[in-house]
Amino acid sequence: MTWRRLVWRNLFRHPLRAIFTTLAVALAIFLVCAVLTLPAALATILERSASNVRISVHHKAGLTYWLPFAYVARVRNIPGVAGVNHFSWFGGIYDEPKNLFPNFAIDPDTVDDVWPDYGIPAETLARFRAVRNGCLVGNATMERFGWRIGQEITLRGTIFPVNLTFRIVGVIPPGVGNPYVLWFHRKYLEEAMEERGGFGNVGMIWIRAERPEDVDRIMASVDALFRNSEAEVASETEKAFIGSFFGSMQAMIRVILAVGFLCVGAVVLIAANTSAMGIRERVPEIAIMKSLGFPRRAILLALVAESTTQALLGGLLGAGGAWGILGALAAAGKTGASAFLGPLGSFRMSPEIAGQGVLIALAVGLVAGFVPAWNGARLPVVEALRKLF
Amino acid sequence: MIEVRDVSRLYRRGVDVVHALEHVTLRIPDGRFVALMGPSGSGKSTLLNLLAGLDRPDSGEVIVAGQPLSGLDDEALAAWRARHVGLIFQFYNLIPVLTAVENVELPLLLTALRRPERRRRAEIALAAVGLAHRPHHRPQQLSGGEQQRVAIARAIVTDPDLIVADEPTGDLDAKSAVEILELLRELNRAFGKSIVMVTHDPRGERFVHDVIRLDKGVLVNGTRATAAP
Repeated sequence: MTWRRLVWRNLFRHPLRAIFTTLAVALAIFLVCAVLTLPAALATILERSASNVRISVHHKAGLTYWLPFAYVARVRNIPGVAGVNHFSWFGGIYDEPKNLFPNFAIDPDTVDDVWPDYGIPAETLARFRAVRNGCLVGNATMERFGWRIGQEITLRGTIFPVNLTFRIVGVIPPGVGNPYVLWFHRKYLEEAMEERGGFGNVGMIWIRAERPEDVDRIMASVDALFRNSEAEVASETEKAFIGSFFGSMQAMIRVILAVGFLCVGAVVLIAANTSAMGIRERVPEIAIMKSLGFPRRAILLALVAESTTQALLGGLLGAGGAWGILGALAAAGKTGASAFLGPLGSFRMSPEIAGQGVLIALAVGLVAGFVPAWNGARLPVVEALRKLF
Repeated sequence: MIEVRDVSRLYRRGVDVVHALEHVTLRIPDGRFVALMGPSGSGKSTLLNLLAGLDRPDSGEVIVAGQPLSGLDDEALAAWRARHVGLIFQFYNLIPVLTAVENVELPLLLTALRRPERRRRAEIALAAVGLAHRPHHRPQQLSGGEQQRVAIARAIVTDPDLIVADEPTGDLDAKSAVEILELLRELNRAFGKSIVMVTHDPRGERFVHDVIRLDKGVLVNGTRATAAP
């Protein structure tokens, strides 16, 4: 007989109750770990999908305003610019309105100048340039609609009054590039729009700087170039551009964090109630132990040890489970399953977060067990014995 | 020697005051097996609790083996109980999640003994009460008489100066009750332990040296009792 065995035996005196309470703590800690991983996951997504040498140039009034197409040629002449391309949001839907996804008219000749990090094979780019209605599609969208290379698809225009039929000539590889996007020839859109008044604008210009140290100067030059024009521009790095989207998610993340911690609060109450119930049931035994000479402190420590051991088990289970599951998702994200997993594949739990989860569980055990244990340990021995008889 | 000097104990129940013990004085020499007898509410269990250091008198003094108990605070009193008193209850009150030998070993957790030595002493105590063959049974796997034997083993395992037993045969059939009384007498004879036992059982008188009778909180008379003047 040891103190450890005494605590362990008491902990599992009602095995089902002990298991359910432990699982409740484990689930809460799993959620907390997953939620705490969220900011790091967003940073990973940003790191993976954005470049510091790519600059986005859009209308100063907002992304929904067009810029004159002539701007593209003018920024190309700024010193330090390695490549220029552009996006024009087509807003096409596939079959049904719910099948909306990002599809842009771009310049097929300068894809590799601006997005060399996407790793699109040279033969794919050559095919893209050669086929007038050719398009490149991100792997997630390919999988979403079950498309295959060589297939013809028709997108119904929602911004432009035309429907366009494309031949899929290649896939944007998973990993770095945008897995949801569809790129097609700008000239194809221009031709379709000829009979409807033509199309001489562009939604956004992408510039790749030769060196990171050129970026600030180029952005200042671009902004200055179109200052006081009818369409003033705002330029920012791709990282800042995508980061601003994530920034708008901060409030949502705060809500998710709050919900996660409310879950922990609920579990504390459940565990405290279970602990109090268990101690109330054992007042006679506590009385016997006190009558045998067990001091108040020893009884308090034994009772608190039960609740903290249980919480620790739950914490290890929850943090370990989160570690395993998020690790497996991250590993799967590096394989072909990335499109299916989406952002889930970017969740990577650090050892610090696992440690925080276990510490939170320990705190839950202490908070939940202390008050009932204190009351149990303080019970006068004769009064406790009276409850016995 | 156990000395009770002019001890009174009263309880308040709402506005009523109940005099559980009034000016009780007695002496019990070492090595005696004493029965406290009397009707319900006579103050037997109150006196037993005072002797065991489980409760404190409102006035008077209890001295056990030369130690005035009023001079000890709660923690010191608990430590004193652990060293000097073995307790036996009517309903055995074993810890249900522990085996027989673990229940006996429980009080030894408060000592500095190492684990193997604790286990060895618990097994000896269990053998002394005739349960060497059932060390790993849980309380619910034992009969009432066997459970009370385990409780007695738990009471003697720390080698206390005084064993107090509150109605140790109250929940047992006649055969088991006699066996338990014989066992207590044997422990008293073999080890010279002082035993104070509260009982309603008239058979108990045959096994003890002295009977101290109480009624309505006062000492009335005793058979071979050593009630002090």
